[in-house]
Amino acid sequence: MDVDTLKILGVVILLAPLTGAILAGALGPKLKGNTHWVSILGVGTAFAAAICVFIHVSGVETGSVSALVPIYEWIANGTDTVFNVELLIDPLTSVMLLVVTGISLLVVIYSRDYMRDHGNPERGYERFFSFLALFVFAMCALVLGGNFLLLYLGWEAVGLCSYLLIGFYYQKPSAAAAAKKAFLVNRVGDFGFGLGILMIYLTFGSIQYEAVFDAVRVAVASGDPILQTKITIIALLLLCGACGKSAQLPLHVWLPDAMEGPSPVSALIHAATMVTAGIFMIARCGAIFAASPVAMTVVAVIGAVTALFAATIALVQTDMKRILAYSTISQLGYMFLGIGVYAADSAIFHLYTHAFFKALLFLGAGSVMHAMGGIIDVRQFGGLRKVLPWTFLTFLIGSLTLAGFPLLSGFWSKDEIIHHAFSEHWILGGIGLVTAVLTAFYTSRMFCLAFLGKERIPEGVHAHESGKWMLLPLFILAIGSIFAGLAGTGLTGKCFHGFLEPVFADTFATAGAHGAEAAGHAGEAAAHAAEAAGHAADAGFLAAYGLLILSAALAIIGILAAYFVYVRNQWFAGVMKNTAPGVYDTLLNKYYLDELYDETLVQPAKMGGKVCVGLDDYLIDGLVWIVTAVPRALAYLVRGLQAGKLQGYAVSMVAGMAILALWVFWS
Amino acid sequence: MDSWLLTLIIISPLVGAALLLLPRRGSDATIRWAALGISLITAVLTVLAIAAFYADPPTASGDGFTLKAYVPWIGAELRDSSGLDISGNSPNIDIAYSVGIDGISVWLLALTAFLMPLAILGSFTAIRTRVREYYILLLLLHMAMLGVFCARDLLLFYVFFEFTLVPLYFLIGIWGGPQRRYAANKFFIFTLAGSVLTFAGVVFLAYYAYTVRGDLTLNLWTLTEMGKNGEIPFNVQWWLFLAFAAGFAIKVPFFPVHTWLPLAHTEAPTAGSVILAGVLLKLGTYGFCRLSIPILPEAAFHLAPVVAVLAIIGIIYAALAAWVQEDVKKLVAYSSVSHLGFCMLGLFSLKVAGVSGAVIYMVNHGLSTGALFLVIGCIYERYHTRSIYEIGGLARQMPWVAFFLIFFTLSSIGLPGLNGFIGEFLVLLGTATSATTTDMKAAGPLGYGYVIPAALGIILGAVYMLWMCQRVLFGPLKEPAGTPDTSTGLTKDLTPREIGFLVPIALVCIFLGVYPKPVLDSFEGAITQNILHASAEATVTQSDETQLEQLTAAAEGTPLNPPLVRGEARTAPLDHGVAESGDARVAADTPRGSNESGASEALWRAGP
Repeated sequence: MDVDTLKILGVVILLAPLTGAILAGALGPKLKGNTHWVSILGVGTAFAAAICVFIHVSGVETGSVSALVPIYEWIANGTDTVFNVELLIDPLTSVMLLVVTGISLLVVIYSRDYMRDHGNPERGYERFFSFLALFVFAMCALVLGGNFLLLYLGWEAVGLCSYLLIGFYYQKPSAAAAAKKAFLVNRVGDFGFGLGILMIYLTFGSIQYEAVFDAVRVAVASGDPILQTKITIIALLLLCGACGKSAQLPLHVWLPDAMEGPSPVSALIHAATMVTAGIFMIARCGAIFAASPVAMTVVAVIGAVTALFAATIALVQTDMKRILAYSTISQLGYMFLGIGVYAADSAIFHLYTHAFFKALLFLGAGSVMHAMGGIIDVRQFGGLRKVLPWTFLTFLIGSLTLAGFPLLSGFWSKDEIIHHAFSEHWILGGIGLVTAVLTAFYTSRMFCLAFLGKERIPEGVHAHESGKWMLLPLFILAIGSIFAGLAGTGLTGKCFHGFLEPVFADTFATAGAHGAEAAGHAGEAAAHAAEAAGHAADAGFLAAYGLLILSAALAIIGILAAYFVYVRNQWFAGVMKNTAPGVYDTLLNKYYLDELYDETLVQPAKMGGKVCVGLDDYLIDGLVWIVTAVPRALAYLVRGLQAGKLQGYAVSMVAGMAILALWVFWS
Repeated sequence: MDSWLLTLIIISPLVGAALLLLPRRGSDATIRWAALGISLITAVLTVLAIAAFYADPPTASGDGFTLKAYVPWIGAELRDSSGLDISGNSPNIDIAYSVGIDGISVWLLALTAFLMPLAILGSFTAIRTRVREYYILLLLLHMAMLGVFCARDLLLFYVFFEFTLVPLYFLIGIWGGPQRRYAANKFFIFTLAGSVLTFAGVVFLAYYAYTVRGDLTLNLWTLTEMGKNGEIPFNVQWWLFLAFAAGFAIKVPFFPVHTWLPLAHTEAPTAGSVILAGVLLKLGTYGFCRLSIPILPEAAFHLAPVVAVLAIIGIIYAALAAWVQEDVKKLVAYSSVSHLGFCMLGLFSLKVAGVSGAVIYMVNHGLSTGALFLVIGCIYERYHTRSIYEIGGLARQMPWVAFFLIFFTLSSIGLPGLNGFIGEFLVLLGTATSATTTDMKAAGPLGYGYVIPAALGIILGAVYMLWMCQRVLFGPLKEPAGTPDTSTGLTKDLTPREIGFLVPIALVCIFLGVYPKPVLDSFEGAITQNILHASAEATVTQSDETQLEQLTAAAEGTPLNPPLVRGEARTAPLDHGVAESGDARVAADTPRGSNESGASEALWRAGP
């Protein structure tokens, strides 16, 4: 590939949003209500450049589809260590760039109207657009970085931007707390991530992707058990970071609180930036993860458990954005599951479809919130289909896609992951299916409560449909939600997967071996091994379609069940709530994990702090006091001798002379 | 080839202080601007020194210093102008006014010269009594700090090192907060107690040099040579290390002798805190870096695990303590203790990456913590309180303060792209890779195990700093009655003057975060020549096992450490490094420890 062109494009993708952010901040006080143009221009330029990169990468006929583009020497430390600023551009990068910049552009456009009413009185509008562009820059840096250090840079920078944006309404204590929580929980993940990077450097002597992955391949080939263990540890440490960023158990607690930020920010965090980072990272490090079956199993299990866990919580929440937040955690769980069962391409495919419908849902929820004067609790309003016809329509599409309604984009990608999960282990696949039902149920519950049934609008709220700046992104995303999935279906020859295939060669190779082994256990070794050679174990034609039909049926069952309970027979909801109040309360309180963390980690650490201060004040300073007390006591003893009384001096002089005389005569 | 530029830099604040005494009727404003002007002149001279450093970089063959000047001081009458002995008498005394800078000290010098004008600018409205005395003391302090970083003679070093106490004692004691007397006394006695032991070490070292070389020398270069050649036996090194550490560790401040710092910081006036955190604490780490490690390499190597463990305890201990502070300044003070633990960890990894990480950490910490104290000073001037619980939600009222406080917080907690990250990363990298023997360099004393608890400190660092930001900036507005106080001509948000002294620091923070290469490049030569020259030799025996492992691994064809691809330009210093460490190995093979040092020990026992 043409490195020079890519260099220019890459730099443009990075600098355009960054410049936008700086200009929006600097010129904001002058531009005031027009600041959004600066950000739209910055992000738009990045999007255009991302399209160019995509065309460039997809146009490669022969040779390598990945290019390492050096920019400059960043941290160079003598002969030992040189770390460059360099970009890695390959199919994975170009897809991620499209998703990130494309969705972000829509969000920025949407925010133009939304933030008119929801910005802070002073400088809120400018600040918001500046941070938004900065967020896009950070995510692009994360995606484009050509080594682990730049990945870490982007990683921390998106953490910062989420901090700034979640805490956008900083005067609300809950928003300030949520922002801090997001940053700190991510830092806990980064702790592992950073240690992982150091360990990579320690083990392989480099942190550049290609060099590391090559070294991993050599290590795998050599079959050295010590190296194997090291690779597993590295993978688990990196996973720790991914769990923080992608809100997986046990570090998911920040994401539901993150909806304290303005709705466009939630859309950005949940769809395009931030949470996708963890998935991206694991996919990018496919070589490392694929080399460690243990790590892969852990990834799959974390994904499956999180998917189910978050879906159960989402069943009982009443805040629309909170339900959506848990649905994101659950969907990210699917993606983890996908990667864990050696189907990284399916996971990225789900990431891509998810970006459309989750952005759509959050922006739709924002539109509802906009109309309801900032209220987002589904207990306080309902039956909005007449009042907000366009929002209703687009939200319907979004909900159906999330619920996995057949033929919409979410259906394809989710089904693929469940399919691969079944080929790995039936429990994983089973959890995937159960979660699919639950997803259909809670999504439809939210939708029914908000839009169907009797019209209920909070008092004093002038409900109105949103303006065109907000509706346009909704329409585009709705269209995307319907059709985006086609790129990964047989209809288009699975072009999405084909495009990504070179990136995941490692994963597939391992999956091939792995699949063959698994198949051997099942007694179908011959049939499977043949298929496994090319791609991840692709089960038979009938099995695939059987699963497709099954999951479609489950989605429809879930949707109908929710309709039955929340529109037709609302008394039934109360029955469900009262039959098992313990379960209901546990779910409503998110399994009490926040409380658990507070009790077991935060408070003891704070106590530790108090102990440290106590030690400082009493033990250390006490010892110092004792040391100084010795001369002080001596001084106290001899002080009397110099009291300034002449008689005293005379007596002591005489005494001294007497002693001296005695001593002289004696000797 | 003497150069008087450094001397000019050192005496310029002194001359300035004298000038400030002259016009007895000068108004306060005149004095302020004059002091600022003087510090700016020093800054300009320092820029010239940096330019000269780059124009005439230290050569690989020399002692690694440039802009040198040498004037015999004590024992001068025994020497001719070139420093050669003409008396024929014994003992020959080589104590001189000797200055020079290498790739490390040039940046600490720059940090000092950069921060002082900003600190002076930051005192304009805060200091309203005894203005003349205040600025004179600040300038005297300036001189002493500049002197420490330039000194190449141990006695000169010690004189400057100790002299810093005097102005700061008065600065805290006169212009400080309500507990200023107690704080100043505690500060003075704590640091003096340690330095006295250091002085004992200095005297003994001079005496020991006499027993070995026949010269009563405090010339840093000679002493470094002695360390390099292993002329100091291990048990002597061990005691000397402890003696030096007594003074330096208190200055750092190193757990568990850090308790003077929170109080001193809290009570000091803003400029005092800025200089204390920005520069004075670095005197301790600089001392370790300049004296303990190069002169006493074996002791440093053997005690490194102890130092590292204490550093890690300090990192976590101080971070936890910072978290429960309600005084903003105290919180930042404890954060300094925590951060300097990282610095010590990097230094005692005894690896190029770790040491350069530690040195750039010193610079970064000076910038970001200095700036944090300046911002807090701005808040304090308006609200007259430092209690986190009495103020809140200031972001709405003071967007500029919010911007800078968050910016420097991020720099302090090591956000990549800002300066703090570079140091943090290199320190952890150096610590993690300390035990490996890449590139023919012998193994260092630390290893990956030390990184894990240290990295916990990074999480905690974010915890307390963000907690502070949240309480001070966010939430509903909370102000004590009768504030903000604008009686001194301040506005609600920052004035242009205040923005003026924060912006330069912010710009430097960004620059160092994005492009630290010019600074890092200059470290390497200085570290391999002047700091870690001997550690390879000192550690040969320790590393044998590890090397064996490496060799077997290599024989088995496992690429444990595939070499990095580097540009052509990088190979030259590499070769040099290899050659040097090779020489050191040869030296190590000769029976140095037994005969020579045994003889010298006997000599020392017998007396001259």
